[in-house]
Amino acid sequence: MNLYQYTAVTALLVTPALSWGADDTVDSLKRQIQELDQKVRVLERKAELDNETTQTKSQDSPRLTAGADGFSFSSADTNFVLKLRGYVQTDARFYFGDNIPANDTLLMRRVRPIIEGTVYKYYDYRIMLDFASGITSSASNDGFLQDAYLNVHYWPQFQIQVGKFKPPVGLERLQSGANLLFAERGYPTQLVPNRDVGVQLHGQILDGVFAYQVGVFNGVQDGGSGDSDVGSDDHKDVAGRIFFQPFKKSNVKPLKGLGVGVAGTWGNQAGTLPGYKTPGQQTFFSYVTGAGTNANVTADGRHWRIVPQAYYYWGPFGIFGEYALSSQNVRRDAGGGAPSFRDAHNRAWEVSGSWFLTGEQNSFSPVKPAHPLSFANHDWGAVELAARYGELSVDQDLFGSPAFATSSSAHKAKSWGVGINWYLNRNIKLTLDYDQTAFDGGSTAPRQVTAQDEKVIITRVQFSF
Amino acid sequence: MNIKRILLSLFLGLLALPLSSAPKPVALLNVSYDPTRELYQEYNGLFAKWWAEKSGGQKVTVNQSHGGSSKQSRSVIDGLPADVVTLALAYDIDAIAERGKSLPQNWQTRLPNNSSPYTSTIIFLVRKGNPKGIKDWDDLVRDGVSVVTPNPKTSGSARWNYLGAWGFELRRSKGDAEKAKEFVRKLYKNVPVLDSGARGATTTFVERGIGDVLINWENEILLGAKDLGKDKFEIVAPPSSILTEPTVAWVDRVTKRKGTEAIAKAYLEHLYSDEAQEVLAKHYYRPRTESVAQKHASTFPKIELFTLAEVGENWQKVHKTHFSDGGIFDQIQRLNR
Repeated sequence: MNLYQYTAVTALLVTPALSWGADDTVDSLKRQIQELDQKVRVLERKAELDNETTQTKSQDSPRLTAGADGFSFSSADTNFVLKLRGYVQTDARFYFGDNIPANDTLLMRRVRPIIEGTVYKYYDYRIMLDFASGITSSASNDGFLQDAYLNVHYWPQFQIQVGKFKPPVGLERLQSGANLLFAERGYPTQLVPNRDVGVQLHGQILDGVFAYQVGVFNGVQDGGSGDSDVGSDDHKDVAGRIFFQPFKKSNVKPLKGLGVGVAGTWGNQAGTLPGYKTPGQQTFFSYVTGAGTNANVTADGRHWRIVPQAYYYWGPFGIFGEYALSSQNVRRDAGGGAPSFRDAHNRAWEVSGSWFLTGEQNSFSPVKPAHPLSFANHDWGAVELAARYGELSVDQDLFGSPAFATSSSAHKAKSWGVGINWYLNRNIKLTLDYDQTAFDGGSTAPRQVTAQDEKVIITRVQFSF
Repeated sequence: MNIKRILLSLFLGLLALPLSSAPKPVALLNVSYDPTRELYQEYNGLFAKWWAEKSGGQKVTVNQSHGGSSKQSRSVIDGLPADVVTLALAYDIDAIAERGKSLPQNWQTRLPNNSSPYTSTIIFLVRKGNPKGIKDWDDLVRDGVSVVTPNPKTSGSARWNYLGAWGFELRRSKGDAEKAKEFVRKLYKNVPVLDSGARGATTTFVERGIGDVLINWENEILLGAKDLGKDKFEIVAPPSSILTEPTVAWVDRVTKRKGTEAIAKAYLEHLYSDEAQEVLAKHYYRPRTESVAQKHASTFPKIELFTLAEVGENWQKVHKTHFSDGGIFDQIQRLNR
């Protein structure tokens, strides 16, 4: 066998062996790749399942949130919620003129912690207290307790609210104290109830196009707040309100923010009567009060109110107004003589307008600044200009003989005001108002409220959460 | 204002409301196990139509909640307001009766066939060509066979899978529990991932491409094979397997509170009707009604079925022995670590 033959035979013998060895290696590598592929897939799936478990756990866990809306605890399904909120207003009032009876002052206008939330999905509750300057308690009203009620809302169209809350009458009164255009509400608010204890049926139909409220309450004096009927007043008042926003769901953008409504109360009222105040919170009208042979005027009989109201918001512009007529039978006693009676018709109205210089969407509800104050970003929050005019007229019959009003009382106050609100962010708001009030009637003696026009600057620093 | 007169008028008005109103729409919540989504979607429509005819036009909406059977049971105990529960095993409804006190202990006697309107069994799905040659339960314990089955701690289906394997070995070994224990230990050693429910296990096997064999409900596998195409998977029916009997019940505590007791009861009773049994068969559940079962006999593989009673008496005992904390499943998992 020569060399060529030897090589050929060797090659024929060796090649299959090499080929078998290579196949084994490929199969082994395939198996290893498949095993590794399975391991990777298993690891990926385990990670996926761990992630699902984590997400499920977080969905099932109670939630704690803190933010611009306050602090909130809720169950995972949000059927149980507890919110801690509140607001604080520090005001300053500066009066122009030397013969003004009121002092320039700093005061805590509102200091209101709020606890509210939901239990069992359909039961909302709210408790709001007030620890502001001058808050007192009486037999009929614990002024520290502003709101305390339960609202059952199985259906938005048919809700029941029970407890102490704002009766559905005054438009500006129904606006939160933390969301006012001016530091002090306008004149119509003084002729409508503040807060009262009662039961209210209310709801929103067609997603808020139509809203209604009707309730039975103890009944309170104009601007009054009460926890119970005392003395001879065991009558109850019916209060109701309807409000339309006819274009709310339409595509007519300029009219979407139009709302009109009317509210009223009907009942009997007995007991003390309120005075009426200027925007600077000076009393310009009071009923006669006294004891023994001195005359004393009280509420005694039919008390009804009617309050048409409207607002309109479009882009940064907003305007609202309301008119209030309060009719109250009043009684004047003096010594043992026969009492005198009058049917007092007191009226008030106001129109207020505002414009957001910074372009925010104006609204009856709280406005969110588009760009909270940030020096780093050159953002300045939201700035709103405001103006209003209002009047309150007291029935002329109260000034005849015998007099039901004090001799120093004016029978009419006419006020105009301008203001600026600076919303640094959703939680902090600064207010600067100027209000000027002229009077018809009233005392001209020095250091009497009505002796001169009231000119007052009111500032407010408000913190809310 | 005469408050007494107002309150009296309001009271009388409220009393008159129910008299003057038409049948109000009603909503039920059916809390069920993983693979029954499609079944109840179809059945709910059938029932709504039937109920509207029966009740004079009352509209009924049945909302569905699905998940691992034991997990769903815990949710109901924790307050999920189920009008009806349709779970994978009776033990999970027993737990609602015992711990949740939401229905009577004898709930299983309230409907025919121990409140089990259909049956099923446990079979296998393997990859096309059956590369690992899997034919019976004992093929699942071989080295190198990767098995996909959910976690018996959270899934009713997984408990049936476990008991299928346990029953197979117990019967083969003439009742030797130690051999059965060793058998299931080996099987779970071959399980790389424990999903929480049957639908998740199907995802693991089918979509994620993990494992050589999926153990699952017969209905889930027949449905999956149909939907996913026969070019990727093959069905393997072992010669014997366990007869599974999912059960249903209305939850008295919820239905009494909501006033839905009659309709919830009707919803479950109607599952035994011929038209509902047809729907069950269509979704590959074995019908209880003989005539419907015969009509669909060719749909289901011929398997020798053994019952739960043959392998563990009843669910209470089975749970205590196998699935309670420290039970056999926990023991074999520790050994496999």
